[in-house]
Amino acid sequence: MTLRLSPGPGPDAVRQLFAPGADALLRLALLTGAACLAALPVVGAGLVRSSYVTGVGVAPAQPVPFSHKHHAGELKIDCRYCHTTVETQATAGIPPTQTCMTCHSQIWSGSDMLEPVRASYAKDQPLVWTRLNKLPGYVYYNHAVHVTNGIGCSTCHGSVTDMQLTYRANAFEMSFCLDCHRNPETYVRPKDQILTMTWSPPANQATLGPDLVRQYHIRGGERLTECGICHR
Amino acid sequence: MSGTVTPLPARAGLLGKGEDFASIGRAVTGASSRIPSRAWWIAFAGAGGLLGVFAVTLAWLLINGVGIWHNNNPVVWALDIVAYDWWIGIACGALLTSAILRLTGASWRSGIDRIAETTAILAAASAALYPIIHLGRPWLFYWTLPYPNTLALWPQFRSPLVWDAIDIISFLGVCLGLWYVGLLPDFATLRDRAFEAALAEADERGRTRRLTLMKAQTYGILALGWRGASTHWERWLMATRTLSALALVLVVSLQTGASVMLAGSVLPGWHDTLLPVSFLAASLLSGVGVTAALTVLVRRALHLDALITERHIALMAHLMLGLGLASAYCYATEIFSGLLHGDAYDRAVLVRRLSGSHAWAFWIIVVFALLPVHLFWFAAFRRSGRVVALVGLAAAIGSFGDHFMLLIVTLSHDFLPSSAHPYSMGVWGLATLAGTIGLFLALLLLALRTLPMVSIAETRRVAESHRDGRPRGERAPVPAESAQARLWGVSAEFDDAGALAAAAGALKERDFGARIETYGPVPMRRVAESLGRPAGILPLLALGAALAGGLAFMGLCLYASGVDYVFDVGGRPRFSWPAFLVPSVSFGTLCGGLTALLALLVQNRLPRLNHPAFAIPGFTRASEDRFFLAFEAAGPRFNPARIEQALARLPQGRPLTIRRVPL
Repeated sequence: MTLRLSPGPGPDAVRQLFAPGADALLRLALLTGAACLAALPVVGAGLVRSSYVTGVGVAPAQPVPFSHKHHAGELKIDCRYCHTTVETQATAGIPPTQTCMTCHSQIWSGSDMLEPVRASYAKDQPLVWTRLNKLPGYVYYNHAVHVTNGIGCSTCHGSVTDMQLTYRANAFEMSFCLDCHRNPETYVRPKDQILTMTWSPPANQATLGPDLVRQYHIRGGERLTECGICHR
Repeated sequence: MSGTVTPLPARAGLLGKGEDFASIGRAVTGASSRIPSRAWWIAFAGAGGLLGVFAVTLAWLLINGVGIWHNNNPVVWALDIVAYDWWIGIACGALLTSAILRLTGASWRSGIDRIAETTAILAAASAALYPIIHLGRPWLFYWTLPYPNTLALWPQFRSPLVWDAIDIISFLGVCLGLWYVGLLPDFATLRDRAFEAALAEADERGRTRRLTLMKAQTYGILALGWRGASTHWERWLMATRTLSALALVLVVSLQTGASVMLAGSVLPGWHDTLLPVSFLAASLLSGVGVTAALTVLVRRALHLDALITERHIALMAHLMLGLGLASAYCYATEIFSGLLHGDAYDRAVLVRRLSGSHAWAFWIIVVFALLPVHLFWFAAFRRSGRVVALVGLAAAIGSFGDHFMLLIVTLSHDFLPSSAHPYSMGVWGLATLAGTIGLFLALLLLALRTLPMVSIAETRRVAESHRDGRPRGERAPVPAESAQARLWGVSAEFDDAGALAAAAGALKERDFGARIETYGPVPMRRVAESLGRPAGILPLLALGAALAGGLAFMGLCLYASGVDYVFDVGGRPRFSWPAFLVPSVSFGTLCGGLTALLALLVQNRLPRLNHPAFAIPGFTRASEDRFFLAFEAAGPRFNPARIEQALARLPQGRPLTIRRVPL
């Protein structure tokens, strides 16, 4: 915003406080300010949903590069072989080193990659995995209640059998939970499909879903969306 | 022929003797330099100290939570909400005063409307912090606003927490809009005086100091290129009136909304149907009280005795007396109706208010708010600035007692003896209050230093322009007048709006191939009428936006609470539209206010910092005491010589100078 100001009559005697360009600058500044103001919530809303914040799809470094794809997918080891308490307790359970060693004391027993597992076994100290799926302390969640009432592993954890390195498949935000709690009939599966990683709602889910909801005695809608269901 | 073209009635005594347009402008623009610097710095240090207390309190609050205020289970709303209601009451009262005086065309608003609006903004700023800091987790304050969140939830639109958030935002929006629109021409005056100082400096020393120039340019940007064109003034009048009307609606909605909110609970003592009215009366009394005290302060500190006269002070005193009587009537009726047809619980609340452990709150109302105003039955007290200021401050203190009594005494004891719990004010609650007072004072002191605390434009409307007949702003002829350069147009300078109106009326029909525009320091109703006033579309736009915004917000509430996120709150109906009225009305006024502001700027083609009209010789005086008639070249028939001839041959009201304006 330069000023054209000359002390007396002359070729440049027009006395204006602002040069003609000042208006363009002011408008630019005002528009930039308005654009920033409008962009702030958009950028903020985008950021909190991005995997940068939620960690979805990001496989963190683990003490051992364990592959769910190899073990559960190709070798078809049952989920419950390691996550033993998923059907009976609130937590699914992280397997102790002994579970790994049931096989790896016999196969790949000299592998460098498995050195931390053997060391853990020898020292009797558990492996420290980096946790992927976290819920806030004020959220009560029970695995057993979900997997015994028609909610399969993959609904929350994604197709784990396709994960070479394990990553978070969904951001466990409140809207994620409420989506199903408000409409359980769209996600509920028959009992024999709980462990199927590739399950997707069949064509007749619209009729099957409500039947299953009745079978499982799920009181959808009003009961499942009460605050105290999760926040106890 | 007087200088004002829009004469306001009953102007006697509203202005010192011999004051004219120029002296009013000088009195206000030079006011900040007349502040006793030492006293200002001492006051500012005091306010800064209170701000320091505020910072410490907020830090302690963040560490420990709202328990430091001694809030407990029955008294869930303690000093935090008391102070919030008190501040917002003052803000509402002050804004309502300014709005009503403008809408009723009271000419004595001249000295006080800016002070009232400033009071409203500063009090609202002090209030605005409370709804945020009284949350358990203040950093999540945005949860009270509807925004696309990852919780799949809506805010609870039945909750006063959401009302407060929307109300405060709307209040600040409308209030700032009204204040800023009023300031536009005043900023232009400040800009032109600062620019004249810069030009004088350039003439004297050969160059201008950077600071002088920056001051002029800062005011220039704030004025958004206001140049006082008569059409601009007409729209300015429409915009200030529209914003005042919206402010009126907003304040009524906000204060009655607060009482409705209390009535929504089951507690005894909050259900009198007179409550909305007594809220408004009490809020007006405290707002007028603080405004009166600040008016006296501004008058004395800035030596503005000529612009804020004894009559202004006396009228404020009259107003306080009237409001004090109205307030007393409301309290008396409440007590009377409690005794007459209240149940046992109502009477118990009454007894607790009058004689319980916090009975001092009630007696503060009586002693500070209801009794002192009766001094104003006597003219001697009405004329004394000191008495008016003290009574005004006392009214504000009394209002604090009112909010304390209404919230804390009522909350501390409900129907069950087992749920009664004593409450005592803690030091931190009082420290928070002191901190917000510090914020108010610090901002006020800064405003005294930098802003025109008396509206120049409004004051000039009750003034006469002083005809001196001397052409001003004279400099050597510009090249355009000697050489055949490209011209923007021809301008004529008048020292009187009447002469300008006569000239514009005589020449408007002639075809000069030019567009006629007039410029002046005050609204020029007669000129505007003779040249064709702009269509009054601005109020309609604002009304449309207010209705659309209000309906949209109501629709949002209904959809969110009745369709998308149905949530049973104590068995209240799904579509509980009465609960959504308060935030909807507030949001509607915000939409209307912003639309009025935008429409004013867009229709006036502002901001326009650089405009050929600014090149009219002596044009800086258009914001002081000169009127300009400009013929802006438009088309091939433009012939400057013919226009100059016609101007020189005007039958009456000849211009002081006729100049050619280069492009």
